[in-house]
Parts: sequence; C-alpha cells; structure tokens
Amino acid sequence: MSDGGTTMARTAPGTADPVKSLLHRHRTLCEDAVDPLEIAAALEAHGITDKAALARFRHRDVFALAEELYARVPHDTASAEPAVAAQTTGAKRLAPWMLVTPLPGLVAAFTLFLLDRAGGQTRLGVALAGAVALSCAVAASLRHGPLRAEGRRAPAVRLWVYWLLAYAVYGDGLLTAHVEGGSGPSWSATPTSLVALSFAVVPAAWCAHLFSLRARRGLARSRGLADFTASTRPTLLVAVALYACALTGIALLVPPLFHDVHGYGGALGVHGLHGFHDGGDPAHVAALGTLLLLARLLTVHGRPGAAAAGLAAACAVEALASLSVLVSGLPGYAALGTPVAQAVHAWGAGAVPALACGAAAAGLLCHAAVSLARASAHT
Amino acid sequence: MFVRIGLVTDGGYPYANGESGPWCDRLVRGLHDHEFDVYALSRSARQERSGLVDPPPQVRRVHTAPLWAPVDDKGAYGRRERRRFAEHLGRLALAVCDERAGTDEGAGTDEGAGTDEGAGTDEGAGTFASGLYGLAELAREHGGLHAALRSETALRVLESACRAPGARRSVRGAAVADLLAFAHELERALRPLCLDWYDTEEGGLGSVDVCHATSAGPAALPGLLAKRFFGVPLLVTEYGVRLRAHYLATDAGREGPSRAPLRALLAAFHGSLAAEVYRAASLVTPGNAHARRWQERCGADRAKLRTVHPGMEAERFIEVGEGDDTGDRDTLVWVGAIEPAKDLVTLLHAFAQIRKERPRTRMRIVGAPSTTGDGPAYLAHCRALAAQLFPDEAAGAYAVGENPVSFEEAGGPESPELADAYAGAGIVVLSSAVEGFPVSLVEAMFCGRATVSTDVGAVVEVIGGTGLVVPAHNPKALADACLGLLGDDGRRRRLGAAAHSRALELFTIRQNVAAFRAAYLEIVSHTPVQRVAQAVGAGGAPLPFAAAAEVHVPVRWAARAEEALASVSAQAPASAREAVCAGAAAGAGGRDV
Repeated sequence: MSDGGTTMARTAPGTADPVKSLLHRHRTLCEDAVDPLEIAAALEAHGITDKAALARFRHRDVFALAEELYARVPHDTASAEPAVAAQTTGAKRLAPWMLVTPLPGLVAAFTLFLLDRAGGQTRLGVALAGAVALSCAVAASLRHGPLRAEGRRAPAVRLWVYWLLAYAVYGDGLLTAHVEGGSGPSWSATPTSLVALSFAVVPAAWCAHLFSLRARRGLARSRGLADFTASTRPTLLVAVALYACALTGIALLVPPLFHDVHGYGGALGVHGLHGFHDGGDPAHVAALGTLLLLARLLTVHGRPGAAAAGLAAACAVEALASLSVLVSGLPGYAALGTPVAQAVHAWGAGAVPALACGAAAAGLLCHAAVSLARASAHT
Repeated sequence: MFVRIGLVTDGGYPYANGESGPWCDRLVRGLHDHEFDVYALSRSARQERSGLVDPPPQVRRVHTAPLWAPVDDKGAYGRRERRRFAEHLGRLALAVCDERAGTDEGAGTDEGAGTDEGAGTDEGAGTFASGLYGLAELAREHGGLHAALRSETALRVLESACRAPGARRSVRGAAVADLLAFAHELERALRPLCLDWYDTEEGGLGSVDVCHATSAGPAALPGLLAKRFFGVPLLVTEYGVRLRAHYLATDAGREGPSRAPLRALLAAFHGSLAAEVYRAASLVTPGNAHARRWQERCGADRAKLRTVHPGMEAERFIEVGEGDDTGDRDTLVWVGAIEPAKDLVTLLHAFAQIRKERPRTRMRIVGAPSTTGDGPAYLAHCRALAAQLFPDEAAGAYAVGENPVSFEEAGGPESPELADAYAGAGIVVLSSAVEGFPVSLVEAMFCGRATVSTDVGAVVEVIGGTGLVVPAHNPKALADACLGLLGDDGRRRRLGAAAHSRALELFTIRQNVAAFRAAYLEIVSHTPVQRVAQAVGAGGAPLPFAAAAEVHVPVRWAARAEEALASVSAQAPASAREAVCAGAAAGAGGRDV
C-alpha cells in the first residue's frame, strides 16, 4: 500500500516528494520513534488527518504514512552516552548530609569533654543529655544522604544496635572485672569507643555515597547484568575496605586524644574516681563499625532481614560470652567461663566482641558481595 | 431485565476529581433498573483525598484500590513459585520483545486460552496472554508479585528476553538501567493483578454479569482476569485510546528523557496489553471514529466495535435550539479553551477577509485560556493580533470605540450561560488545527446554529453534513464559507435545524445510556456467565433445567425471555454462590463451565 503511494509521489513530474519534506520537518521525531504508531500519534497531534495523508502525501491513512516515515529513517539504538552524562552532572553540589554527618562525632566528643569536667550530680545529667543529643544527631545523619533507608527497616534492628553500642561502652570493663576477679561494682566504661564510632559516621556516609555513585554510573554504563555485577562487586569491597581503614585510624587516634584530657582530669581526681578505662580495643571498634556499616548498606539496598540477622548474631555471641563469665562464678559452673577467660587473658577483653563483630561482619560482607552487586538492589 | 454490572474505572468515577467521572455518573444514574458494583483504581494520593461522589442507590458497593501505592507483599516466593514466576514472566517478556508481536495474534482463540491450565507446558507458550494470566494466577494464589517483579530473577528474565533471537532490534540494546526501569513500570502496570477483587462471593468480580472497563489500560486488567477466572464477559469503552495517550505522553517527555530501548519495551507492552484486551472483550465501544480506527489498528476485531457517541448535558442548549430565532446574522461566535491547538490566528485572518465584504460583522471569542502550558501567552498573542488587524470602531464622533473582536470569559456579564453565547450567534465557527471530540461544535448543534469548522479530529463525523467543513490552516476557505452562510438566512436556518436534530439523535445522554443498556443486554444474552454451582445440586449431582435451554441457542433473546435470563444470572441463592467460590478455588482459575 505504501509502496504504491511513494512511487506515485516520486514519479509525479515537477513535484518534489512530499513525504520527504514531511520527513525533513519531523526528522528528530521519526528518528526517536520506536514504532510507527508513535509517529502516527505525533503526526495526528501536528494536525495531519487521514484526508491530508491521502491528498498531500498519497497514503491511505496516517498509519500508512507513519509506516513509510518509520521505514525511511535509520534507527540508531546504541547511544548510551547522554544518559551517562545526565547522571554524573547532578552529583557535584554540597548536600545537607555532608554537613550533618560530622555532628554525631562532635556531639559525642563534647559530651565526653563535659563529662570530664563535671562532677557528682551533674554527671548523670550531662551523660543523659549527651546520649539524647547523640542519638538525635545520628538519626539526623541517617535520615539524609546515602545512608537513608526509608520504609526498609526490620523491626528489631534498633534493639540490636543499642545492645552492641552498650556493650562497646561497658562490655570490656565488665568482662575484665569478672575475669580478673576484681571488686564487683566498679566497672570501668570505655566511652571513647563510642566517640570513635560517632566520628566514623562521616567515612561511613562517604563510603556509602561512593558505592551508590559508582553503582549508579555502572547502571547507566553496563550492557548486561553480569557486567554490572562484575563491576560493582570490587567497588563494594573497596568501599568497605576504605571505611575499615578510616575507622581503624579513628579508633587509634581518639583514645590518646582523650587520654590527655583524662590525664588532666585525673590530676583533678576525676579520672580515678569514676573509672574511665583507657579506651576500647581498636580492633573491637573497627569490627563493630564495619558490621554497622554493612548492616546499614544492606538495609538501604532492600535487605533489612539479612542486616538484622547479622546484628543479632553478633549480639548473641557477646551476650553468651558475658553470660558464661557471669555463670562461671557460681559453684560447679567454673568450666563454662574458661574459654572466654583464656581469650581475655591472651588478647585482652576487647578480643571477645572483636571476634563476635568481626565474624558477623564477615558473614554480612559475603552476603553483601552477592546481593548488593545485583542490579535489583539499586533501584 | 436486570443485569449486575461491574464498572471498573481508572482514575475517574467515583472520585470527585476524576476525569471520566461525568459520563460514568450519568451512565450509572441513567440505568437505575440495573445494579452496579463500582471498582475504582485511583491514580494519586491527591485524588484519593478528593473523596468520592455520592453514588445513587443502584450502586451496591464501591471498591477502591490505589494504583500509586506499592501493594503490600505477603513475603518472598519459595523455589517452586519462583520458577513458575520466571516461566510466566519469560513468556510475557518474550512476547513483548518479539519482532512480530505487532502483527500476529499468537494468543490463540478464546477457548484455547480459557482451557489451558496456566502452569503447564501448553502449546501457547511464549505468548503475552498466557504469561499474563500465569502471573495473575500466581498472584492470586501466593501474592508477592510486587517483590518478585523487583527481584534479580525478573531482571534476568527480562534481559534474556531482550537478547533472545527474534527480539526486535530496538530492544536488543537494552542496558541494565532500561531493564530496571522497565521492571519498575511493569510492576506498576501489573498492580491490578494483586488486588483482592477476584472471588465469586458477594462483592467480588466473579459475582457480576458484565464487567465494564472504562479504558483498555489498567482498568481493563481486572476485567481480563474476571473473564479468565470466572468467564465474566468484558465490555471496554474508550473515549480516548489509551495506547495513543501513552505515545503522546512519552512524546511530550513527561516521563523524562528515557532511552529508546525502554520506550520500545513500554510501547510494546502497552500495545500487547491493548491487543489482548480487545481480543478478550466481548464488545468494544469507541467514542468516535478516530478512537475506532486506533482500536482497529491495535488489533480489535471489527465485529466487536460499536461506536457509542458520548452523551452531553444539553437541556439549556436544546431550549435555544427549539426557539425560532436564528441569532444575530452579523455575529460570529467561537467557543472553547484558548490554546495554540485551536488556531485562533487563522480565525482572525479569516475574519479580516470577512470584514472586507461585510464590515458590520462582529466576532465574539468566548472562553478562558487553558491553565496549563502556554494558554495565557497565546491569549495575549491573539489579543495583540486582533488589535493590530482591527482598529477600534465607534458609532459616532462622540462615542467610545471598541474592537469588533471581543474576548469574553465564559459565564461573564455578556453571556451568563454558555447557551446565551450560542443564542446570540449567527454562525458558530471552529478553527482548530488539532481536535479530539469537538464539544463546542456539538453544543452549537444542540442550539440549532449553523456551523463552519475545520476538518480535524472527529469534526466530520460529528457534523455529518449539517454544517460546513473547510480544511485546517486555510483562512480564505474559512472566510468564504462564513460569507456564504452570512448572506443566506434560509440556508443558515435549514442547516441549524438539521444540526439540531442530528445532535438530538446522536449526542444526548439518553442516547448514550440506551446504547449501553443495549450493549449490556446483548452481551449478557450472547455470553452469559455460566456458573457451575448453579448446575450442580446439593449432592453434587447435575441439576436438571438449572440453565434455560435458550442459553445455548446463539440468537438474540434478551428482549423476550426475561424470566429465563434472570434465573440464570441474578436470582442465585446465597448458598450457590458460596459453592461457586469453592469450585473456582479448586479449578485454578479455569472457566467454570
């Protein structure tokens, strides 16, 4: 049908091919169209009716005309470049999360500083206020930016996280106190590990940002799902490794920083009175931080169940370790406490949670290396 | 005669700000001797907040479901469900990517699709319909389609379909981003599959006699499934073809600059869905010949197509039309929303030529600028052009002059009612370059006014020889036609009277409602829902004479045998309906024959 029309149009003496001029006018439209019906709809929107198609362009109707136009234009489907360019330009501005993420670290450090200064009754107040401010700051930094996970939360995650953090502060002291058989009530706390973890929100956000940015670029660039997985998995590992390094650095830096303060405070008699420990085991802090980051990444990318499971496993190991030490004090159960006691004697009190968190983090890392490298995790 | 109709709407009735609201409302109110169950899909949270209109008593219940919110899942699939899911999605995706999808009917006959058991390895493998119904059955049994369509499994299936031999060239280059976006869109489009409307209990889609979908888009999906699961016949009404709207929406870039493979996938999916809807529907009623052409093009069988013109609220206009007055012979009136597609520039140029011949002529342009797009700017442009073409004129040396072209708001002081504007017109002019269904032209016909319009959209079909039609973008032709009418009072009167009677015959609400009433009866008489529970007695033995013998006779009997039909379709005891439910659950969605 359309063939007849075009030959007529071409052989008509003295007239140019009318379809050609139409084609020239709607060139981009015809090149972009994915099928003839799209051209037909657009032609109708430009006011070309069946009657016009018959009278001016010598085609049976608009559909035939559209088919002719579609057939005449080469369709280039392999142009991925514009999408990539559009994706990358949007990410250069200063986002609110970049300003918010240092807040938890600053709040925690300031609180610790005040705690050192304060004495007696005000300490409890300062500690409570600091804890509230810290959780607000953490919540704010998790609500914006790359660590945001709206509507993808497993119910018990918050409980596990609080338990892990509480252990990070008090667990080492408790364990040491019981294993060494010291005087009961005076546990020493290690708030510096909490400060280190609070400061680690910054590298966590940046590493998550790096990962999501690279993954999004990979989405635009990869031809197939296998390509994407192959390119994203190393990115994830690099991001997590970067974070672990940064966190270890922070964990090593923070305690000496506050040790000076303690020393100062200690001269005033604050340190000795209230029993601050020297600072958490850096390995423990690094393992816990990595575990938390991986759990958050998994939650952000739609795997909250796995994240909760990893955190719960770490909690369970820590709880069991503490329990075994506590129970070993009872007559007849002394044997239960020996493995933990030996570990504490050999590597220090921080080794137990470091092992627990490290193992959980390794498990989550394996899971993440599979599930976060998939394209479906990056919607 | 009593028919229970399941009216499935998409973003329209009964929401207060729905777009197809008015005609659905008139239909429901007009058919007060039938019963309606309204199944409404809402498009946005804003629409849902706008509330529901008060339905008349013949609407038994209103079910609503949000299409904009993700469906809550019942959890992830197990291994077997995942394999079934991949198999069905693979079929659907292969059909969408298939190069020949636009031309063939691979889906097979109605009976073929109805009897196969979905999960098996049937002969219709690779077709859109079997994949779609397979997914629907899976969603009905296990839920969880939402999560599954966003999983890696779905992406892999889509990728392999795009890379399969025989896939069309435009989708072969689909990158990961395209696949993700397509899976996302697919999940949105298939949300009606996850609804809890599909049962035969009171209020379920299985309990109605006819399912009436108001578009071939998402609203038709519940209808398709009701047809598939319970054999409920489907009627599809489209005033604007959904597929065409999809093309225009992507063309206007409303969904952002998306890449060619994604657009190709989406277009192919919507095309296949429309084709399947037209295939499964017992009757398709386009609103005009233009929609009808598109539907034919998308694979609708001509025998099923029946044009039903939209009915219009016309009492005020009819009063004017019944009167003897033929209006002021020196006044041209244009009515509509002022926007570039209406091409007022051509109208003004034509008016300039008219005034050369008849200097006393005036023109009234009644309408508000459309609030969206460049309506206000276009109005300003037209005002400036009018001021340039026609200097202000005064009756005498001491009178204040005014422009022969006046721009008036509809409902303004000059014409408090739109009908008054038409009443004062000698000729009503329509100069659009692009037009769908020309509402102002029909209103002018109701008012019995002679009209001159451009040949666009459904104009010729509407006017049908009772007014003059000229090519678009042709001021000279428009002016000549107007001059010819202005000079001939008798001709204007004759054309006006003819237009009036044509409009009364074709475009009244009564006509529209009567057409749908006839359509319902025809469908019910030709394809009655055969419910197995009504043919089976208490002990499972066949019940003699449960279905009237006429049911099996392929003739029109709706008008006569009302009692027989009522016994088949409507007056089923409650216990029988419950038994149907059990039977349907056991029968895995096959037709309950």
